[in-house]
Amino acid sequence: MTVALSDILIGVFSTTLTLSPFYLFAGMGEIVSEQSGVANMGLEGIMLMSLVATFIADYMTGNPWIALLAALAVAAVVGALFALAAIRLRMDQIASGLAIYLLGLGLSFVIFNVVYPSGLTPNYVALPPIIPNWNTVSYVGIIFLKQNVLTYASIVLVVLTAFFLSRTSLGLRVRAVGENPKAADNMGVNVNKVRFLATLFGALMFGVSGFYFAGNIVPGFQTDVIAGNGFIVLAMIYFANWKPYRMLFAAFSFNIVYAAQSEYVSLSGSGMASVSTLFNMLPYIFLLALIPVFGRKARAPKFLLKPYRKG
Amino acid sequence: MVVVYAGGNIEVALTSLFLNPITLSGGVQQIFVRFVLFYTMGMGVGLALKAGLWNIGAQGQLLIGMVMVFLVYTSLGFLPWPVLYVAMILGAAVGGFLWIAVPTILRVKFGANEIVVTILLNVVAINFAFYMLSGPIKSTGTALGFPHSIELPAQFQIPSIVSSVPITYAVPATIAIGIILYLVVERTPFRIKANTVGESHETARYAGISIPRVMAITMLAAGALAGLAGATYLMGYRYELDIGSFSTNYGLVAIICALVGRKHMLGIGFASFFFAYMTIGAESMALSANVTTYVVFAMEGIMMLGILLGNYLTERKYSV
Repeated sequence: MTVALSDILIGVFSTTLTLSPFYLFAGMGEIVSEQSGVANMGLEGIMLMSLVATFIADYMTGNPWIALLAALAVAAVVGALFALAAIRLRMDQIASGLAIYLLGLGLSFVIFNVVYPSGLTPNYVALPPIIPNWNTVSYVGIIFLKQNVLTYASIVLVVLTAFFLSRTSLGLRVRAVGENPKAADNMGVNVNKVRFLATLFGALMFGVSGFYFAGNIVPGFQTDVIAGNGFIVLAMIYFANWKPYRMLFAAFSFNIVYAAQSEYVSLSGSGMASVSTLFNMLPYIFLLALIPVFGRKARAPKFLLKPYRKG
Repeated sequence: MVVVYAGGNIEVALTSLFLNPITLSGGVQQIFVRFVLFYTMGMGVGLALKAGLWNIGAQGQLLIGMVMVFLVYTSLGFLPWPVLYVAMILGAAVGGFLWIAVPTILRVKFGANEIVVTILLNVVAINFAFYMLSGPIKSTGTALGFPHSIELPAQFQIPSIVSSVPITYAVPATIAIGIILYLVVERTPFRIKANTVGESHETARYAGISIPRVMAITMLAAGALAGLAGATYLMGYRYELDIGSFSTNYGLVAIICALVGRKHMLGIGFASFFFAYMTIGAESMALSANVTTYVVFAMEGIMMLGILLGNYLTERKYSV
């Protein structure tokens, strides 16, 4: 069976565009959080909790927007717990982040199991594509019109985050408390309040990512369903050097490699099954290979990981 | 609390959490298997932490260690028994060592963040192990359609000390490694060197400590230990590799043990025993109270937060 090159390209680009928002929402959240000096390693735990909230709310109401609200509410609660630990109680950020991850990993499955003990669930109602009859239009249409509104919202979010961090006074305060909290404090900035707000924003964005994952990437609940992809956001931010626009580049290039290898494996048929796992490694090795190139110039916010105590 | 919410019977749950690990058959064996696993990996994580380095990738190094056991077994099969036996154990350590050499080099030479690199390598290791299972070390027999490896023959399994009690020689060996590391690390100037690097690179530079050297030694030792844990787990308990061996992130539990043991080579041992006991208890509780075993992760997360809170409270008491 021969497949037209145009079909392959359409497959690769539309998959790229479908996968990227998951990384972009979480990436913007983590960038703002880390710019304020708080690295949230619990992001995948927060995503899993919002994901399970998404499924349950969606199954019960049949309305994806209510599911999004549920995801945001759960993300805010878990995010506030992390913020309490890492900011108010000045616990080690990495350790408390990993604790939040484990909590989310276990609790999300327990909750799902309690609500749906048999594992049988109603059908998931997803957000509609922006043009309902996208498959009647031509090539470009297939790539761009089958996506839902969140795909475009994620790109708008990148622009807004970049503007927020470099052009607004709150954004400057966020960067100040991550770069030099002492000086910011002397200028009258409430360091831990700004950090709390930045961390909460981050958590809400992980909530959107969890919601997006549920509706667009893996359409059903499984244990450990995000499988480490939330943590990949941390690697992307590193290459993006904590800059929103470069995060766009990191997410798209990673996902193009990911989409290309999965397209290749699926086109090659069953003979590829045994080596498909080798191809699965490619996007991650691609990111690894970029480290010596971009890692040298990467400069983290100076007071990242350092709790602040007034006085 | 989690259990009651999850619809379980609290009395049954508590009995199984605290008593089942020692009363149920196989419980004691399970505790010591986990103890060896957590302690070996935890010492490595703790060692790197002393120098301020986070090895989030112990799980990846563990998997590579397990794969290496089989690779050595299949490729060096011509060696006589005792040599091959030792080569399999060393091969696992070498595998972990090589796997962590990547983040070590990137960290020391390029200043790349070790957390990011070890996270990425975890994903690569899982895919690599899957690949090995689907081909090079695949079992010829098909059991239930799940990919699994060949099984190690009896002469390559670590024997029990007493035939009636399933506690293998891996347990005293691990404790011996712990004591040796305690003597080498905690009782020599190396402890101060590593701690200084961990506290402040500037101070370390003033003191004339070679930062790259300390970082490289602690990181590489951490990888070798995690790889070694793969050998003891496979040869002492599991005997074959299957997808079940990947599903739990023991690397994260090792981080918890290292933190709870306050990065002290003997302290980590006590923490590992505690967590081994609690993990088996929680698993048996999950089974008897009819909730999913994933409840264990939630409990570990809560315990970790509790321990961090304890640290915070004691610190506040003694500092200003």
